[in-house]
Amino acid sequence: MEGRRSIVIAVFSTSAGSGKTVTAINLAAGLAKEGYQTCLVDLDLQFGDVMGYLDMVGDVTLADAQAALMRDEASFRIEDYLAEYSCGGVSFSVLPPPKEINDAYLVDVDAVAEIISRMGGFNFIVLDMTAVFSTLNLAMLDMSTVINFMGRSDFLPSVKNYKVGYDTLLRFEYEERKICLVENRAEENDLINYRDVERLLGAKFYHRLPVDSQAVTRSIRMGRPLMFSAPLSPLTQSYWQLVGRYTNRSIAPRQVQEQEVPAEEEKHSGFSWFFKRGKNHAEGQVKG
Amino acid sequence: MKYRAILVERDSVMLPHLAGALKADADFDLAATYHDAEQALGQSSVFRPNLFLIDVDSPKGLKLLPDFIDFFPNADFLGMMEHWKADTAEKVIQAGALGSIVKPFRTRDILKAMEIYGRRGQKKPTRTMAFFSPKGHSGRTTLASVMALELARKSGESVALIDADLQFGDVSMFFDVVPQHNVVEASHDIRLLNPATLEAYFHPVGQGVWVMGGPVRPEHAELVEADRLIEVVRMAGSLFRYVLVDLPAGFNPISLALAEFADTDILVSMINSGQEVRHMKRSMKMFQMWDAYGKKIYPLFSGVKRCTPEQKKKIEEEFGRSVTKILPEESHITAITGSGRLLKDLPEDMPYVRAVDDMVGEIIAGRR
Ligand SMILES: Nc1ncnc2c1ncn2[C@@H]1O[C@H](COP(=O)(O)OP(=O)(O)OP(=O)(O)O)[C@@H](O)[C@H]1O
Ligand SMILES: [Mg+2]
Repeated sequence: MEGRRSIVIAVFSTSAGSGKTVTAINLAAGLAKEGYQTCLVDLDLQFGDVMGYLDMVGDVTLADAQAALMRDEASFRIEDYLAEYSCGGVSFSVLPPPKEINDAYLVDVDAVAEIISRMGGFNFIVLDMTAVFSTLNLAMLDMSTVINFMGRSDFLPSVKNYKVGYDTLLRFEYEERKICLVENRAEENDLINYRDVERLLGAKFYHRLPVDSQAVTRSIRMGRPLMFSAPLSPLTQSYWQLVGRYTNRSIAPRQVQEQEVPAEEEKHSGFSWFFKRGKNHAEGQVKG
Repeated sequence: MKYRAILVERDSVMLPHLAGALKADADFDLAATYHDAEQALGQSSVFRPNLFLIDVDSPKGLKLLPDFIDFFPNADFLGMMEHWKADTAEKVIQAGALGSIVKPFRTRDILKAMEIYGRRGQKKPTRTMAFFSPKGHSGRTTLASVMALELARKSGESVALIDADLQFGDVSMFFDVVPQHNVVEASHDIRLLNPATLEAYFHPVGQGVWVMGGPVRPEHAELVEADRLIEVVRMAGSLFRYVLVDLPAGFNPISLALAEFADTDILVSMINSGQEVRHMKRSMKMFQMWDAYGKKIYPLFSGVKRCTPEQKKKIEEEFGRSVTKILPEESHITAITGSGRLLKDLPEDMPYVRAVDDMVGEIIAGRR
């Protein structure tokens, strides 16, 4: 299949707010900066944050792509449904989630799988997901080359969910080496030491991302990846390392010219979206 | 205490059967039996009864129940039904009775029912409140847990908190309990249960709060059907005056069905990246449809840095409608929930708790 040429990185977690979207964005930006053709797919269909965090507005979405694919498979071109993010000479594609919650509810898992398999032109496909074992997420995990499985050690219930999630992935027979355990918000004086978390999981962290709230807040406020909004942050450096790991290159810590930042604008949103109850394919629960 | 009981049962086979059980027990003094509810209503006063067992499958019995309760304000009332019917059970409570039991029964079933229904609280309809959040990590479970504790403390009535965040629910962890049973089992068994047997599926955490925990494995979530879970919630209404349901994040078959069923939906989002107000705004579209026909919808924002009226106004401007409450960011509350010390260490004077308390006061007073 065409799509198999691309490397698919599934950014997944089993506790919400563990930094999936921030990571997916900075992975995509880092990979693009390294010269790879990269596409970031927002699979948080109902409440996706990618467009908001990057301050983008797009007119076409996954819902349009799905409709087009179902209309005429032969003439479907994924390029027609992608938005382009560009900043400081770095650019990558983004597939935005449906605008309306009702459309999110109608997304079909097979259609998404087909759409992603049509992305063979990209070197890397980064999937930003939700913190649940849904039918959609499982199908995406199946398709992915690696699972960037994120967790945080600063809240005990999150550690519990990390453990439960990891055990479940193994029980679902995802190969151990496909699962890259990534700790986010790592702090030396964390409530729970990362080594204890490793012992609990019975596996080592693939990577540990430090906490830097200021950098992340600034990045979101500016709508730019960390390399442009907080180039010197240890978190930014840590993302370079993570990109290096996924590309099998060692990337020297670097400094990207900080872009001229226009006076902060209020990001506004004009939504008059209406939601009707519909049959949900993508959000269906796990087959046990 | 000895019960002077009146038995009203329209079925001529069932009546002697039930009467026999009551006569055989020294705790009960069967004062009179009736086939006809109207006759019972007219004649019972001469027996000075303190307990009525009334067949509520009969439309007449159900209809006259409020009159019975009016005439005999000091007696206890139990509705009797052949199979558990949620609708009827709710009407029985609404009328001011203790609750209902399923026929046939033994006298100790009556005593057990009186005990658990007595503990429930006022003989008033159950408040069912669903806690919804667009995304996870929103302070939803924290709010539901603190509200459960404060409702129980302030009202003196009993409160249940059901963890319907079926894959990764944290309710048991917040209270540091390991319940014997969980919501998957309760939903599976519900059609074989009655309130007395359902009670065992709740774990008493103390201070008037009971919790029903989530499943051990996330894939078990799939075994729960929304309509069965609603049956659990409805039956729980016979045991608890307040039934709180912690929903999974976002819209899915479970959250939709339960939010639609509940009389009160509390929407909560934690202010963090700045996207949350937009997410809540989108969620409101769904809830507004229900708002139109009498459901109570309360949007709240948690994790607010400067909890001032001006800040509230600012959020409301972006949100485009009024916000019920803003809850302050409080690292202390995270520490307490994260380590399961909710029951032991919740300080009443903390701004977060005071804000929740305000709302709880309004709920109890019937103003919300
Ligand atoms: N390394 C970090 N240091 C400090 N703050 C962080 C870090 N990573 C993420 N955050 C903060 O955590 C919040 C959640 O991050 P993010 O939105 O990426 O999580 P998520 O896993 O995508 O959440 P959701 O499951 O709700 O989609 C963000 O608002 C961000 O401010
Ligand atoms: Mg996200």
